[in-house]
Amino acid sequence: MPSATVSDSVPIETAHEDMIHDAQLDYYGKRLATCSSDRTVKVFDVVDGDASKTSGGHTLKGHTGPVWQVAWAHPKFGHILASCSYDGKVLIWKEQQSQASAGGWSKVGEHTLHTASVNSVSWAPHELGAMLACASSDGKISVLTFKDDGSWVADIFNGHAIGCNAVSWAPAVIPGSLITPQQQSIPGQQSQTQSVKRFASAGCDNLVKIWGYREDSQSWVEEDTLEGHADWVRDVAWAPNIGLPKSYIATASQDKTVLIWTKDTATSPWVKTALDPSSALASPSSSSGASSKFPDVVWRVSWSLAGNLLAVSCGDGKVTLWKENLKGIWECVSDMNS
Amino acid sequence: MDTKHIELVPPLVEAGKSSDLAQSGHIVSASFSPSNNSLALHLAPLNLTGSKTSTVEQPEAVYLAGCDDVPSSERRLFIADTVVIFSMFKSMLKDAHLRDPTWLQTRQALEIIRKLSVDYVNFIKECWIHASQPISRPEPLQLSVEHYRNLYSTFSLFVVLFVPEPGYEDAPVGEELMEWLNIHFIEPSTEEGDQLSSLDHPWEDENFWSYLTRSTIRGFSKASLFFLNTLLQHPSEDLQELVKILIPLVESHPRLPQFTAERDFAYASRKWKDKVKALRVEMDRFLDESYDWWDPLSDLIGILEGRGDVIERVCEELGADWKEVCAARGIFVDTRLRRQDLPDVVADVLEIMPPDPTNLEDMMLSSLFSGHADQVLKHASDFDLWLSAHLADIMEPLGLLDAELDFESGVTKRDEYVLAYAEYLRSDSTLWRITIAYLYSCGRVGEEQADEVLMRVPLSLNAATLDESLTPGDTMAEVVKDISSICLEHSRESVRRAVCKIASTMLVRSRDYGMAVSYSTSAEDWTGLGRVIDAVLDEYIQNGPVVFAGYASKIAPSMDEIQSSSRTHQIFAHRLMFTVRYSQMHKMRLDRDYPNAALDLLALLRDEIAPRSWWPILLCDAVEFLQYGPKLLFSSSDAIELLRKLEEISIRSSQGSGDDYLTVLIRTIKGGGEKEALERLKQVRLAIARYFARCTVGNG
Repeated sequence: MPSATVSDSVPIETAHEDMIHDAQLDYYGKRLATCSSDRTVKVFDVVDGDASKTSGGHTLKGHTGPVWQVAWAHPKFGHILASCSYDGKVLIWKEQQSQASAGGWSKVGEHTLHTASVNSVSWAPHELGAMLACASSDGKISVLTFKDDGSWVADIFNGHAIGCNAVSWAPAVIPGSLITPQQQSIPGQQSQTQSVKRFASAGCDNLVKIWGYREDSQSWVEEDTLEGHADWVRDVAWAPNIGLPKSYIATASQDKTVLIWTKDTATSPWVKTALDPSSALASPSSSSGASSKFPDVVWRVSWSLAGNLLAVSCGDGKVTLWKENLKGIWECVSDMNS
Repeated sequence: MDTKHIELVPPLVEAGKSSDLAQSGHIVSASFSPSNNSLALHLAPLNLTGSKTSTVEQPEAVYLAGCDDVPSSERRLFIADTVVIFSMFKSMLKDAHLRDPTWLQTRQALEIIRKLSVDYVNFIKECWIHASQPISRPEPLQLSVEHYRNLYSTFSLFVVLFVPEPGYEDAPVGEELMEWLNIHFIEPSTEEGDQLSSLDHPWEDENFWSYLTRSTIRGFSKASLFFLNTLLQHPSEDLQELVKILIPLVESHPRLPQFTAERDFAYASRKWKDKVKALRVEMDRFLDESYDWWDPLSDLIGILEGRGDVIERVCEELGADWKEVCAARGIFVDTRLRRQDLPDVVADVLEIMPPDPTNLEDMMLSSLFSGHADQVLKHASDFDLWLSAHLADIMEPLGLLDAELDFESGVTKRDEYVLAYAEYLRSDSTLWRITIAYLYSCGRVGEEQADEVLMRVPLSLNAATLDESLTPGDTMAEVVKDISSICLEHSRESVRRAVCKIASTMLVRSRDYGMAVSYSTSAEDWTGLGRVIDAVLDEYIQNGPVVFAGYASKIAPSMDEIQSSSRTHQIFAHRLMFTVRYSQMHKMRLDRDYPNAALDLLALLRDEIAPRSWWPILLCDAVEFLQYGPKLLFSSSDAIELLRKLEEISIRSSQGSGDDYLTVLIRTIKGGGEKEALERLKQVRLAIARYFARCTVGNG
């Protein structure tokens, strides 16, 4: 394999009037949603890596402040987007029945229980139903559970003092439960696997918290607190468990580190490992100083579909891709030069 | 592991400017696509104050960047064609598991494995030839001719060493190695031979002896003999004398393929070597004559004598490498060299002539010669993930790889390489069929990944790629059918259901309710079925009875199926029945079959097939029948039934339960509320009152 890949694609010109904060591809990788400081959300059809020429994209207006994040719901719930903004609101958007190409997006819900900027929204795994977790600068986390008619009930509770920066759901099926022998699934008979309602949140208190839903008390309970960062935790991403025997969480922090938290079994504790950029980034400056620090603040972590690749966006303008080797060591496998 | 560098083209930030970017308060943010290993990249401000940057031309652009080179051109064909062989191999192994587990060791199994391995080799060869042709191509080759040549040499050697013809596993391997070397690393060149043969006194040429020696090592006896014969014209009579003895020796060199029994070959080889030794004695007579031909001729005879040191030295002088030494040893030194003994011989040779660590082909070949399966795969995966996956796939059943699951990763060695190849294939979502063929061969981990790929096969194609004769619904039906049969083949019922659920949701959006109902039913998704029915009923509210009747007739056929199925939740079956019967009533009404329509409407109310929230609608529909002039359509007891329903609605509404009864009617009155709805019902009451009057007066 050649060691240098050139990703030659025409960039999608979004025509946002200000900087983009988030860009998310949908379940099929066929549509792109972006959001911006210009207070709008835009949706584009993506054909072979380019924006479709036929539909110029849809602009979704409704927020009154910069929009931080967008999240696509699972397609079995329809074409639904959630967006969160500095205006303290979470908006739910739905593409209405489309006659030909004139599919129109409209706002079908407005979640206004937060009293400050909402920084992150994340849909639960579809097996749990339509549920959305939201993290806000008011220190609270809210979880919306949608009913069939589009209405919802909201649970809202204190998450992190000072503020919550990000939320990420655990896979619905606990890793490891697939390794134990199971009967072949028979048509007409759903294999019953226990699913869990659980997510992680990242906060300005330098902590990562794990929240689980207790069916008996019908409430969200703090299950675990992961201590390890020395500054604000900017992002958290729970890895999909496709084929992975353990649970993985990646966290990115203002303290210039990325921590990978692993949990071998349901009962074992979370164990942290720091990504070591000095092994990968062969720049002279990184050889001095603490080995496991990135050159700058780390803002974003994102897992691939199979959960075996982690993309890290660092404040130095670089995006690096990481993979765990068979010896359990995290290696930088690619870096992207923008 | 080497870090792979990925460059965005055109660049988002000019080279060396990324630090400017950071200083201006921006980062490049990346998030993975949920469908493959591509990333959406864009500039993002670090904080609210981070405004537009001047470093970049298009700060609001989003890049979609892949981690792998998307297979194109001849590479796609290569991938698509080799999966056929892979699938045959897989089905053979599947059959093997159903049989006796020791069956894989049988001659029959080995014959199949060899045949399929040879198929790979032949296919690679064709691709290599195709790639070498100087033809004009619609797209440039994605991988070089050299790449295919390397694949060809490596895969062929693998077959020679590890997948021999059944029954010949223990036969001497020298001849096969030399044949392999002669196919893939041609020496001496034909041009050189042509040039020498055109000379009157070729021995005067500086390349004469090296050409002759190399032809001899390579076993090209025809070329060797041709030039040995020219030496009969050499001015040295002593040389002529020796060559006269040498020519019949070269002619009669016993080669394994000439014999049917190895014992005969061994006997003939021994006898022949005795004759070579005799020639050496002859030669030593001229030792003191200081002939310029003595040394090269001595080397040539040394090779025939099977002197390892001479072969190594000569090969080195000729610029040949370890491969040639190993093969030559198998022909001249240890004529009965077995496959299992080869690694020891190779180890000795490699100590003196190590492989080139910067040349992946050399590393793969030397690992193959040394019998280090793990090393072979490691180098192969650096070279081409296709190669490591397909070698590993054959290595495991041959017992060359540990077939145990790795504790940490939960996969076998073979699976690890096949999964890596599948991940590369995922860079192009249109290769999903091929991708899952590999994934479903990788145990539980592979199955899980394949499920995700399968669930993300787009159900609606882009307009540009649509066959114009097909509706979007038809296209989707084709895809779902396809996925369902794959799910059945691999026992992935949960995937089939998940896909059906999504299909149903999408069909509701495009108002293809009939198909939506069948997908929900097929997925046993009763809540989903409820949503479809609600959407159809919604058509009545939004668009009136004509549109509604049209759509509802599409879901009518599925009612029989659902009612006959004991698995259906009753509540949904009931709602579906109402929808269908209500639409049939409207159809009769539209066809002016009022008597039957009136009967049906009454039955829907009397038998409480209609949900409460629809009673007011039905009562409003009844007005038309109550006012029907030519004939009384209801008996007086029927009319009383209508009145009773009306009473229930009025009383319950006055008790505050209006929501249970009036929501649907309210929705049909644009901008109206409960008051307007009750007002509308008053008209029904009036119609009923008049009807009673008509009943009293007479037959109407």
